[in-house]
Amino acid sequence: MKDIIQIKNISFNYPDQERLFTNFSMNIHEGEWTAIIGQNGSGKSTLARLIDGLIVLKSGQIVVDGLTVNDENIFDIRNKIGMVFQNPEDQFVGATVEDDVAFGLENRQIPREKMQQIVENSLKQVGMWDFRDRIPANLSGGQKQRVAIAGIIALSPKIIILDEATSMLDPRGRQEILKLVDKIKHDNDLTVISITHDIDEAAGADQVIVVNKGKVVEADQPDKIFGDINKLTSIGLSAPFTSELLSALRKRGVDSPSQYLNDQRLITWIKQLISSK
Amino acid sequence: MDQTINFKQVTHTYQAGTPFAQNALSQVSVTIAGGSFTAIIGHTGSGKSTLVQHINALLKPTAGEIKVSGRTITPATTNKNLKQLRKHVGMVFQFPEKQLFEETVIKDIMFGPKNYGVSDEEARLDAKQAMGLVGLDGSLQDKSPFDLSGGQMRRVAIAGVLAMKPEILILDEPTAGLDPRGHKEIMDLAEKLHQQQGMTIILVTHQMDDVVDYASDVIVMDQGKVVKHGEPKDIFSDPEWVYDMHLDLPSAAEFACRLITAGVPLKTIPLTIDKLADAIVGVIQGGQSHE
Amino acid sequence: MSNFLFGRYLPGSSWVHQMSPQSKLMLSFYFVVVIFFANNIWTYAALSGLILLVVLMSGVSIGYFLKGIRPLIWLIVFTVLLQILFSSGGHVYWHFGPFSISDTSLINGGFMFIRCLLIIMISTVLTLTTTPLAIADGVQTVLRPLKKVHFPVDTLALMLSIALRFVPTLMDEMETILNAQRSRGVDFGSGSLRHRISAAVPLLVPLFTGAINHAENLSTAMEARGFTDSEHRSKYRVYRWQRKDTISWAVFLLIGILVLFIRKS
Repeated sequence: MKDIIQIKNISFNYPDQERLFTNFSMNIHEGEWTAIIGQNGSGKSTLARLIDGLIVLKSGQIVVDGLTVNDENIFDIRNKIGMVFQNPEDQFVGATVEDDVAFGLENRQIPREKMQQIVENSLKQVGMWDFRDRIPANLSGGQKQRVAIAGIIALSPKIIILDEATSMLDPRGRQEILKLVDKIKHDNDLTVISITHDIDEAAGADQVIVVNKGKVVEADQPDKIFGDINKLTSIGLSAPFTSELLSALRKRGVDSPSQYLNDQRLITWIKQLISSK
Repeated sequence: MDQTINFKQVTHTYQAGTPFAQNALSQVSVTIAGGSFTAIIGHTGSGKSTLVQHINALLKPTAGEIKVSGRTITPATTNKNLKQLRKHVGMVFQFPEKQLFEETVIKDIMFGPKNYGVSDEEARLDAKQAMGLVGLDGSLQDKSPFDLSGGQMRRVAIAGVLAMKPEILILDEPTAGLDPRGHKEIMDLAEKLHQQQGMTIILVTHQMDDVVDYASDVIVMDQGKVVKHGEPKDIFSDPEWVYDMHLDLPSAAEFACRLITAGVPLKTIPLTIDKLADAIVGVIQGGQSHE
Repeated sequence: MSNFLFGRYLPGSSWVHQMSPQSKLMLSFYFVVVIFFANNIWTYAALSGLILLVVLMSGVSIGYFLKGIRPLIWLIVFTVLLQILFSSGGHVYWHFGPFSISDTSLINGGFMFIRCLLIIMISTVLTLTTTPLAIADGVQTVLRPLKKVHFPVDTLALMLSIALRFVPTLMDEMETILNAQRSRGVDFGSGSLRHRISAAVPLLVPLFTGAINHAENLSTAMEARGFTDSEHRSKYRVYRWQRKDTISWAVFLLIGILVLFIRKS
């Protein structure tokens, strides 16, 4: 499998602060959904900004789709990456929904006629075309994030980075955004990196990278990572619902598997358990 | 003092008499029992925040009246005399760390008590006690609140409200944006205040798991009205209705519904993981006894 | 806050709503200039007639305008009083030191009152019928000639549009902070001046901190979205000159000429 992003031996700290990363390395597979999890302050968001060249790396190397992140490649790299940030308010640049989607296109000097087409198409993909005249003050947080996603689709990138993009939304808004990104990922063959502390979201990823104190604690498929509740809680995270339920059953003397099961597999397992008795 | 909160036919219209007028509450009558841990739920824009802002008269009703701690708030209530009421009703807003402004943590926490005429000495004691309550280390007291982590800043803000020793505490989505550990710490604090200090807790939230884990009463709001008021088990007993309100079920209940759809014969819909595990074990053993 | 109409946009599709922002902006400016040529009852009558027509064509009820003017009433009264007390000439009714009241000063005061009203009315119509974004775009179009002398017109327009876009956000935040500090026992707007100033600190510090946070996050987001500078960009939104603009200009120019003819020379 091709690694679309390679992070090699990077070290980084903010001025006058403790070292955040020391000789940190990890890879992101092309076409997969990778969840990077860790508690607040573990350096997750900094990582996203380093990948997009928004903050400058001091040592080590980051390669995005064959290009090294540096001043020279920065614009080509930003054409490949679309970022959705945490606060829906702070990435809404345009005065209205359609103006905001057009912002990235204007920056790339796309002619007006072409822009109108792209804006319409992108807004329709996220279900916000009917809201094109609205100002941000009249949108919910989830709707603003949809607009942010439309702004990314408009530039047809290869990678979408969700930088805690759902953490300020209510549970329903969160699910809707994740479903939308999943659909867009499939329709456009994208790579998704989701920086999050929502464990149930991470449980649905192809690859999970657990970061704590500037180090990769684990990088594997969710099955391999989410079985061990104690390990997750020890670094300030919670366990997925299914692992908690299995553990509760175990406490009640039910002989249950120690590996992670997703919702569907857990339901099947419970059904088997009942019918076998 | 009696901590009961009583809404009688309360209507609130934002920007009444302008082209921007909006009815946020219409004829709400509800009683929040003193000493309860009451959760207020409802989808975004249902009127939850408007409702709670009436409890310490940050908003005054357009019509109707509210009784809090023996005081009555009506449309005619003047801004004078509200100060004492606000001392009884502590209010923690969403992202409360945004209200910090002092040079040091301790000064910020002392701000509330001092506004109520408490001496410096006493305010400092109250502040230190509040820091202890929220689990902030004493060594942080002379730091600038702006140098702390997000979770710590939030606890400073909450301590700033607790230092006024309110009897009723309103928490408007107090865990928004926190990681799982931070979330649990804040919710456990709310429980501690409720149980150990007998505080009336009013929690505005979207997290249904918190509702079943912590609350004794639940008020459901929709389109500016209270549509249901009862214990968590009454509120979540009808999943269809919950979805109609654009709300979610607690994780355990949602999973139970999926088990039932898949053919697992659960008799009730359990609301917590432990109850769900009990129910599953019950079905397994029930199956055994049939053989 | 709730009655403050000035500076707010009211969606609609009236004649005035449909005009291009640059022409509305220029017309408002032109109208204000013409007001200063008015100096007798007939000229003021003509301009008042014109503004009534504009209000009618904007589809906004006159009652809202009156409400919108209320918060500014003290400013107007103050200006009018100055005019009455300091202007001289004519038959003097009363005087004290540098102050005097005469028939001329009363008439001047009356004209000043109408003048203020007209200026407020035209600017309220402009903001009620034009989105902040359109105003920013209008400014950009009107100032375009200045690009020749390297005036950063595009940067200014972008700054203006982002600033306007954040007004509701910051207003919301101010309201929340105000409420949060009120719950902590602050009395805003009562007590001595010193007390009031010290009560502003818990409001202003968080408000500025918040604004700086927004600015930081926003600049990161803009950079991530490929923004480098405001000059090398294409433009999504274009406002075309329409027949409604031409007709409106014709009417305004006619009234302007009329004012020049009937004013007291």
